[in-house]
Amino acid sequence: MTTLETPPTTTPTPPPPPPAMRRAGNETSRVLLKRLAGCLIGGFVLGLMVNSKEGSPDDFGFVFHQTALKPRMLIFLAIGVVIFAGITFWGYLRQHARRPGVRPLGMGILVIVVSQVVLNWYDPQTVKFNGLRKLVDKSSGLSSTTTWFFDWLSWTLVALSVVVTGAAIVTRRRVFGWVTTVLGIAGAVLAWTAHSDVLDLGGGIDHSLGAYGDVIGFLILAGAGATVALSQAEVADSRGFMTRVMEYRPGLPFAVLGAVLAAFSYARNCWFAPVNRNLDFAKTHDAYQGTDINSLASNYLGWLGWVCFVVVAVLTLAATYLRQRLLGWLAAGAALVATVLTFFSLKSMTDVAAKSVPQFGKSWNNLGAGGFTACISYGLFAAAAAYVIARPKTRAAGKSATLPVSRALEKARNSANMKALIVIALAVALFYPPMLSQYWQNVLVTQMAVYLLLAVGLNVVVGWAGLLDLGYIAFYAVGAYTTAYLTGSLPRKPPSWLHMTPLLTIPFAIVACLIAGVLLGAPTLRLRGDYLAIVTLGFGEIIQIVAQNNPGNFTNGPRGVEPPVPHPKLEIGGWKITWGLDNLPYWYLLLVMLAIVVVLFYRLENSRLGRAWAAIREDEVAAQASGVNTVRAKLLAFAIGASTSALAGTFFASQTGFFDPTQFDIFTSILIVAYVVFGGMGSLPGAMAGAAVLTWLPEFLKSQVPTDDRQMWVGALVLAMMIFRPAGLLPAKRRKAELSHLDEASPGEVSAIPRGGAM
Amino acid sequence: MTEAARPTLLDVVGIEVRYGAIRALKSVTFNVGEGEIVALLGANGAGKTTTQKTVSGMLRPTTGYVAFDGARIDGIPAHDVIRLGICHVPEGRHVFPRMTVAENLEMGAFRFRDVDKKEFERVLELFPRLRERLKQQAGTLSGGEQQMLAIGRALMGKPRLLLLDEPSMGLAPLVVAQIFEIIKEINASGVTVLLVEQNAAQALALAHRGYVLETGEIVLGGTGQELLADDRVRAAYLGEEIAAS
Ligand SMILES: Nc1ncnc2c1ncn2[C@@H]1O[C@H](COP(=O)(O)OP(=O)(O)OP(=O)(O)O)[C@@H](O)[C@H]1O
Ligand SMILES: [Mg+2]
Repeated sequence: MTTLETPPTTTPTPPPPPPAMRRAGNETSRVLLKRLAGCLIGGFVLGLMVNSKEGSPDDFGFVFHQTALKPRMLIFLAIGVVIFAGITFWGYLRQHARRPGVRPLGMGILVIVVSQVVLNWYDPQTVKFNGLRKLVDKSSGLSSTTTWFFDWLSWTLVALSVVVTGAAIVTRRRVFGWVTTVLGIAGAVLAWTAHSDVLDLGGGIDHSLGAYGDVIGFLILAGAGATVALSQAEVADSRGFMTRVMEYRPGLPFAVLGAVLAAFSYARNCWFAPVNRNLDFAKTHDAYQGTDINSLASNYLGWLGWVCFVVVAVLTLAATYLRQRLLGWLAAGAALVATVLTFFSLKSMTDVAAKSVPQFGKSWNNLGAGGFTACISYGLFAAAAAYVIARPKTRAAGKSATLPVSRALEKARNSANMKALIVIALAVALFYPPMLSQYWQNVLVTQMAVYLLLAVGLNVVVGWAGLLDLGYIAFYAVGAYTTAYLTGSLPRKPPSWLHMTPLLTIPFAIVACLIAGVLLGAPTLRLRGDYLAIVTLGFGEIIQIVAQNNPGNFTNGPRGVEPPVPHPKLEIGGWKITWGLDNLPYWYLLLVMLAIVVVLFYRLENSRLGRAWAAIREDEVAAQASGVNTVRAKLLAFAIGASTSALAGTFFASQTGFFDPTQFDIFTSILIVAYVVFGGMGSLPGAMAGAAVLTWLPEFLKSQVPTDDRQMWVGALVLAMMIFRPAGLLPAKRRKAELSHLDEASPGEVSAIPRGGAM
Repeated sequence: MTEAARPTLLDVVGIEVRYGAIRALKSVTFNVGEGEIVALLGANGAGKTTTQKTVSGMLRPTTGYVAFDGARIDGIPAHDVIRLGICHVPEGRHVFPRMTVAENLEMGAFRFRDVDKKEFERVLELFPRLRERLKQQAGTLSGGEQQMLAIGRALMGKPRLLLLDEPSMGLAPLVVAQIFEIIKEINASGVTVLLVEQNAAQALALAHRGYVLETGEIVLGGTGQELLADDRVRAAYLGEEIAAS
């Protein structure tokens, strides 16, 4: 160093930046300005969205004035600025954003915000968090913590958690993480007690979700704090964490979750809610004392329910902890028995109530959530047991090399995940609907049911064969009209030997749709993607217009079918089922249909034909060179999709009785495509989940946001989904890979690929 | 190794192939003997790919015919031609990008009910690189590996006649040599090969016989050595000055 000359103290003036750089500087400021403007507009639009609208559709000016020029708009503009800052400083934030705990923090906050802004908090007054705050301020007799909670405490807790967790992440002090945990738990307890306080004072039937959402959100925050405190890793490895948890004792998390839920169900939840009263398990028992309830239900309410809970919980916990297959089977069996017992007790309870006090309504009415959550918790126990049962034989695996072990484990885990998911989904599908209100049962049957079938069918065409069919509804119409014709509900009557009940028309509807599918498919399937979409779009329109125009007095034109299509009937030997106006039986009919279709399709996906479809989707030339008959495979996809919609058409026709051509419009076609894409193209559970969520959401939002805004919120969700989870809700394995970058192989594969194999 | 010793396996006689108004092949006649490697040379757009596609059933000739093992096969669709034992590796490395290497190979055996484990092993022995990458997605393979996979997949169909369309396209010289070596091995195991190549010198060195295609017509034919020695071939495809030789 000493030999070196000291540098000159005066720094020479830096040369002017080259012109290119100067331009780049200008460009960045322009980009920044644009971004700021975009974020501010976004905030403004959000402000318009989150507001109760007044006035009539004619005076938009008034409404706009009302929303745009209020001080509250400043808050939303501030949100815009925050988003702007987030995007601009993303580079700096990112190094911290990948740390463990950040994701749960964001998720917890999101859940809390949604709970406190969008969800209802108290049904008797139909108010949200903010409305309840005003009510609480006005009323006396509430504890002061409740008032505080609504006034300022909850938001303060959220803000504090963010700040403290942020500090924990930046400074890497564990204490802060634990502070967040405490804050989160406190928030959850406060939200719960505040809501119960309001319920105790106000009474009434309350099915609102706000408080529950809030509790869950705060618990997620607590979890985020714990994660931050417990991890020293630089980058979150949530998948690895989950794997470790599940591998410690497979199924144990499910079992614990089930135990907590079941305890809540029996100890706290409402089991029976006749006119303006909420009775928990014990109180329900008292209420039924002395009625002519059958002995099973009476014992169930008295002690059997608790025994079921304890036995199943102990068995499952033991099975998952000891990893004993036999115990697993026992636990699963016990869970099944407990579910059946619960179910029949509930039925008996409501039967008695309906008989003795007609104003209580029919069977299955007036039930609280308790019975349902109990059944769900048994489903969780069964799922936990499924993990134990599906566990690979450790001894056999232990002998072979390391790689096969992990693969065997992974396989077993996947199949166990599958089983657990199926068990839970089945439990919900079977036991939840009876507890729903009439309104929701109607939604379930008229919206969800039909679209579930349609989405599953379209998934074959769009998801598996990769053919964009925008006229899918046409086949649905063909199915519905075939059923209407064969049941004699159209002006043109069938010959008497062809006149039949709706369920018998199913094969005919399927054949009609198969023919329609082949007729449309044979000439068009040689077309490439976009052209096929246009042709099918046209086909959909043609079918609707033909139905409108009533050729040969066949469809009865815009007047729709008359007389109405009869309700389905089934007679096997002496055993007779009739469907009527009640919605619930249709749901179970649909479940049967759906189960058959799903099992068939599941086998189809893994069949030769399924592989042919996958090959065509991937590379048509290569598929052809491998000996796939591409035209036939596509045609089959079309025909199979069409016949599924025939099933939906028959179901729809006989359930509603009346329909007209306007119900088969192009928007419905596009909606079904949206369901499939939203759920995850090419994934059976995805298509069903997509249809279920997107039919449920608009109905749910009816009671949460102004009716006219519903589609806007749905659109926002779909948009967000496509940005953050482009492969869909429950993506197909392959589609996921398709959308993520090919060279960024999934974590499980990375280690197996030697990097940079030069070739 | 005289020509008379080999019975012909593939006979292409006077085929004309059109794409609408465009006549891609005017009249192409050639044959491939059992167990041979025959190279098809020609400039860009001469009609080499068209010829191969016609043989594999993806295109139909308007006149003339294609016979395989003594029976006419023109007009039989591609997915049925493959059942006769004619497997085609189309131009441009068509693999199934989102399937794993193993799944790709299994797709090659699509014409059979089950995947033949022995065949699978044999292909992996031929291409050890593929064995290392069985679980890797085919789209993430390098170009050379993809070409190997495409050939391997065709082999899974147990071909009697293998149609290779420019297997060396866009590959480094070393890899080209490797692939040609493998083609030789495949041929040695009894598979007849019809090879389309731009890389004339190497192709002719490998092939028993060759044909030169020019704007839809065969203009030259002969053994590899003969063609290599032919002035016109040297001028057009080996880039040598006639004057210099
Ligand atoms: N689908 C098509 N439609 C119209 N013309 C086509 C089509 N495919 C090929 N051709 C034309 O047929 C002629 C022969 O094409 P071909 O692909 O057989 O050439 P090639 O010898 O394989 O050339 P290269 O060495 O560049 O692969 C070309 O003039 C080409 O433009
Ligand atoms: Mg070519």
